[in-house]
Amino acid sequence: MINYILRRILIAMPLLLVMSLVTFLAINLAPGNFFDSLRLDPQFSEETIKHYESLYHLDKPVIAQYFYWLKNLLKLDFGYSFFYNCPVKKIIAGRLLNTLLLSVVSLFFTWIIAIPLGIIAAVNRNKFVDRFFSLISFVGLSIPGFFFALLLLYFASQTGILPLGGMRSANFDSLSFFGRIFDIAKHIIIPTIVISASAFAGLQRIMRGSLLDVLRQQYILTARAKGLPENKVIYFHALRNAINPLITVFGYEFSGLLSGAALTEIICSWPGLGSLLLAAVRAQDIYLVMASMLMGGILLLAGNLVSDVLLAWVDPRIRYD
Amino acid sequence: MTNIPVKKPKSQFWLSIQRINKNSLALASFWIIVSLYLGAIFADFISPYSYDNETRDYSYCPPTKIHFISPSGKLTRPFIYGASSSFDEYKRRIYSEDKNEIYPVRFFVQGDKYKFLGFIPASIHLFGVDPRARIFLWGADYRGRDLFSRIMYGSRVSLSIGLLGVLISFFIGLVVGGISGYYGGKIDNIIMRACEMIMMIPGFYLMLALRAAFPPNLNSLQVYILIVLIFSFIGWAGMARVIRGMSISLREREYVLAAKSLGISDIKIILRHILPHTISYTIVAASMSIPGYILGESGLSLLGLGIQDPQASWGNLLSEAMGIMQIKFYPWILLPGLFIFITVIAFNVLGDGLRDALDPLLKEEGQMKPKLSERSETKFAG
Amino acid sequence: MKIQSKQLNKNKFYALSILKKLPLITVVFLFLSIPLDADNQINQYGGQIVLATTSDPRSFNPILAKETSTTAITGIIFEGLTRTNGETLEIEPNLAKSWEVKQDGLNWVFHLRDDVFWTNGKKFTADDVIFTFNELIYNPNIPNSSRDIFTIEGKEFKLKKIDDYTVEFILPVKFAPFLRGMSQEILPKHILEKSVRENKFSFTWGTDTLPKDIIGTGPYKLKLYQPGERIVLERNPKYWRKSKEGNRLPYIERIIYLIVQNQDTDLLKFQDGEVDYYGLRGSDYPLLKPKEKSNNFTIYDTGASFGSNFLVFNQNTSINPKTKKTYADKNKLSWFLNKDFRRAIAHAIDKEKIVEILMNGLGYEQDSAMSPSSGYFYNPSVSKYEYDLDNARQILKNAGFFDRDKDGIIEDKNGNKIEFNLYTNSGSTERIQIAGIIRKDLQSLGMKVNFMALEFNNLVSKLTATFDWDAIIIGLTGGIEPHFGKNVWDSSGQLHMWYPKQDKPATEWEKRVDEIFNQGVQELNEKKRKLLYDEWQVIISDELPVIYTVLPASIFAVRNKFENLKPTPYGGAFHNLEEIYIKEKFKK
Repeated sequence: MINYILRRILIAMPLLLVMSLVTFLAINLAPGNFFDSLRLDPQFSEETIKHYESLYHLDKPVIAQYFYWLKNLLKLDFGYSFFYNCPVKKIIAGRLLNTLLLSVVSLFFTWIIAIPLGIIAAVNRNKFVDRFFSLISFVGLSIPGFFFALLLLYFASQTGILPLGGMRSANFDSLSFFGRIFDIAKHIIIPTIVISASAFAGLQRIMRGSLLDVLRQQYILTARAKGLPENKVIYFHALRNAINPLITVFGYEFSGLLSGAALTEIICSWPGLGSLLLAAVRAQDIYLVMASMLMGGILLLAGNLVSDVLLAWVDPRIRYD
Repeated sequence: MTNIPVKKPKSQFWLSIQRINKNSLALASFWIIVSLYLGAIFADFISPYSYDNETRDYSYCPPTKIHFISPSGKLTRPFIYGASSSFDEYKRRIYSEDKNEIYPVRFFVQGDKYKFLGFIPASIHLFGVDPRARIFLWGADYRGRDLFSRIMYGSRVSLSIGLLGVLISFFIGLVVGGISGYYGGKIDNIIMRACEMIMMIPGFYLMLALRAAFPPNLNSLQVYILIVLIFSFIGWAGMARVIRGMSISLREREYVLAAKSLGISDIKIILRHILPHTISYTIVAASMSIPGYILGESGLSLLGLGIQDPQASWGNLLSEAMGIMQIKFYPWILLPGLFIFITVIAFNVLGDGLRDALDPLLKEEGQMKPKLSERSETKFAG
Repeated sequence: MKIQSKQLNKNKFYALSILKKLPLITVVFLFLSIPLDADNQINQYGGQIVLATTSDPRSFNPILAKETSTTAITGIIFEGLTRTNGETLEIEPNLAKSWEVKQDGLNWVFHLRDDVFWTNGKKFTADDVIFTFNELIYNPNIPNSSRDIFTIEGKEFKLKKIDDYTVEFILPVKFAPFLRGMSQEILPKHILEKSVRENKFSFTWGTDTLPKDIIGTGPYKLKLYQPGERIVLERNPKYWRKSKEGNRLPYIERIIYLIVQNQDTDLLKFQDGEVDYYGLRGSDYPLLKPKEKSNNFTIYDTGASFGSNFLVFNQNTSINPKTKKTYADKNKLSWFLNKDFRRAIAHAIDKEKIVEILMNGLGYEQDSAMSPSSGYFYNPSVSKYEYDLDNARQILKNAGFFDRDKDGIIEDKNGNKIEFNLYTNSGSTERIQIAGIIRKDLQSLGMKVNFMALEFNNLVSKLTATFDWDAIIIGLTGGIEPHFGKNVWDSSGQLHMWYPKQDKPATEWEKRVDEIFNQGVQELNEKKRKLLYDEWQVIISDELPVIYTVLPASIFAVRNKFENLKPTPYGGAFHNLEEIYIKEKFKK
């Protein structure tokens, strides 16, 4: 197992390297660079701008710039954000945490809803309950996230219960410790609903499908024949095996959440990595984009690794040597 | 021994069709999709106006009421009243019916010229009114353009982008995946690593970066093709991975070994023996992926990087509607969102129904549990 | 207040006379008389104001960054020698309490205040002024935009320290906007000289700096910055300015900026009371106006906003050294260089309907290079172009542009079809909508216009570096001083959009504009200056290098919790922030 993990980490390196190179080239395909936006300011002269450009090596060929970035990376220097005028590290850290928070909470709620609903649907296959849940999941899957977020915000403003975007209230600092937790919780509700709505649908269908598959198996028939109560059959024997596919999906879902949901974050003014990355890509803030992409890539690979390991741990049939 | 008539056993394929028929939701979805595509093909005819026909005096005009009862109280052919507008004290536009002007709704009328199927010139429309008035079935947008017409024309872009994008990416994915799985070894390794790389980069941002990279002096047709190509480029990798997995298991089958020993070329084997067995999965995956492309197009339009005005797509129509003012005062403008929703849900339900119906076939081909990073359902809208 | 005190005296008198006769009633009366005057002794201090912004500040260093998300913050942390009064537009003393000018405007002596302290307790002196100019602004290693304003014909100002509170500026030539330019923020020498010496100034005071390390002299100091969320500023207790009554300003204890990523969210937050101020788009008016009473705010309509919005055509005739051809296609150039072509298009801009549809009527048609709100230098007597498509077609026909082959598209004299690209930036919904309307009208003139929204950087790159564009819809910010837009109007300017950085003026009229800007900056007589800039605005409206469109109205809504509010077009709602105080019942 350890060998396997080490091998995976080793393979990850060149993968990340190539991914970063592709990203860097893609970003630089767009004509111009970040400093072009300064050119439109009547008060900046051309010399000033050229000075900025050479300061950040933007006047050198693209490949050279890439190696500058790589060199700095080895020193754990993620570069400088032109957009925010401060080292990338500082900007990303806070936003990453916010997105992580949103992702974890969303994932948690997605699972809490999807798994029971999936089980109920499988057990009551093709009855009204099953069809109804299917419909709900499809609805969740089909509404464009940003549209749903806007509608929710509007209705929230009509009813006045939930805050309208952001992560903290204006008077956050004067709240007690529990007050602060409650405040953030209030703010996280709408973005969580939007993200979970589409995520839970897929998961529910997978849970249902997987459980159905397992329930068809021989050993379930055996268990029933042995006279085990139906509850035990489903929740103890069947579920344990049906969970497998979900674990493999877990890693992928998690890292997908991290860099996705950008439009939702923007509409809900949630200060996360997605909206940061979107603004950075559009402004051609190269180092910020590279760092965010790298983060996303690492998390994807890590998530995959975690779920593969979890899978092996849960399912004794799986061996990786 | 007498001859007992024996029914010829039905093929799996036919059984699947029967299963689908029983699933009423999936069937309904199928017909919804068919009518949407028909609507797209006949958009010029069904819409009373061209997508670019604007009357600025009718900015944000609410849906026109169609009356069937004449002022004298008799049942008569449908008609509308003229519309007049004014600004109230809050600078809000108020429209009212001018009962002095009556315009009957006529059918098969002459209207804006168009070219049916792109080359047959015509100007006949399903319905319309006297050119001095306007019939806005679903209201007008900020420039006084008929929303109904624009949604019809918009369906062409949104529906075809999904179909074309999926066709191209799946074609590439099938071929690449088939080859990769069949040959195995180094080729397999390289191709799979390439797939993983592409799948690692979050689709949304890659799409943005690629979109920004292309020269802007493209006309709308070229932009359309570009968007389709970008989507395909991002989408083929997931497909390839799954097909490769299936290909690996299929290449050990007896008929493949038999074909090999007969000396049939590799390409023929892949095309004739392996890929056809992946069809059921492909069909299901395709219908589940099309929504991703449709949503992706709306995501791009939200950022102003999709199909441009005056061409209509559901995505850019929706992005015009994304505002508090619109929701509160001009809610009809949100209809394109409903259309996106209906289309996406129809494809999802259909795909799901297909999956259920083709179940035994899929079982045989051995690959229906979505595995790690083998999802071919592309996600585009963040 | 005066009326109230008279009443008190009257009651006291009355009460005193009764006192002798009916003690109980007297006591009651005395009691009743007191509350009448409670307002006189209110505590004006305290409370907070909550604002919203749609983007993070890029820096806390006023020398380096110039975009509005940053200057909104640095503008209240730092100060300059002078400042412009938001109401009267006059130049007022600030860190300098007085000044003299000698030698025909070339020699200025400023007398600095001696009661100003930096927020870390050190005194503000002439050393800081000299440091700001000589070590920061004129430092060749520090890229900044102020240098370009304070360098005339390549020459810099010379500064001389007379004593701790007196500084002399020696100008190379006369510079009319000099006093207004002296609103330049002054930075502390003792804090920053180290980073300048180590050549690290460009990275100093970025957004990752600890708030307590940002040292200014202004009414507020930075308390907290949470990226993507909010910025908190708190009152500077040692601020030097006092009110007329002698109260140490400012009154408001805290300023909170919420960072929202989306204008609609800003609108909702204002409507629901979370935020105290909102800058309206014309389209927001029907939503907010009916709620003025119920949601306790007032909407102020202060006239046209500043700056300009226009359509510009590429008239760059210079040769691309790489391709040996002009940057723009030579056929297209021939059309764009034709004044009649541009004139016809000016008649095809439906300004009235644009204002009506996009801004609910709350906007202004723009004809001149300066906004009507810019006051003294605005010239309303410029050429105007009525929206008249028939007239436009006629002008085009007379100039040789008409549809010869009846295919719906007009051609030029050589038979080339009139087709070109129109760009604007994808981030501005309003511009995209304006572009759509203009495109439609140009199409009815018979032109084939291909519209595309580009990322802002991409657009600017085309305008200033690659020059591969045909027509662009864009806008510029602006103020009350025409000279600060020199980079746009001087033919060698980098922002002379239709043909930037010319070696020598390409046309007679551009030559005249160059002369005007050269003379205007050195002309100290206000009336003569006005004549020059009036002429400039007329030339632009005649020659149409840019075709103006519309200006949104500057409308904002402010919660009814403030006193001493004096909204103006130039100053906005809070130009006199230090004097504004919050009504008692709204303090938290």
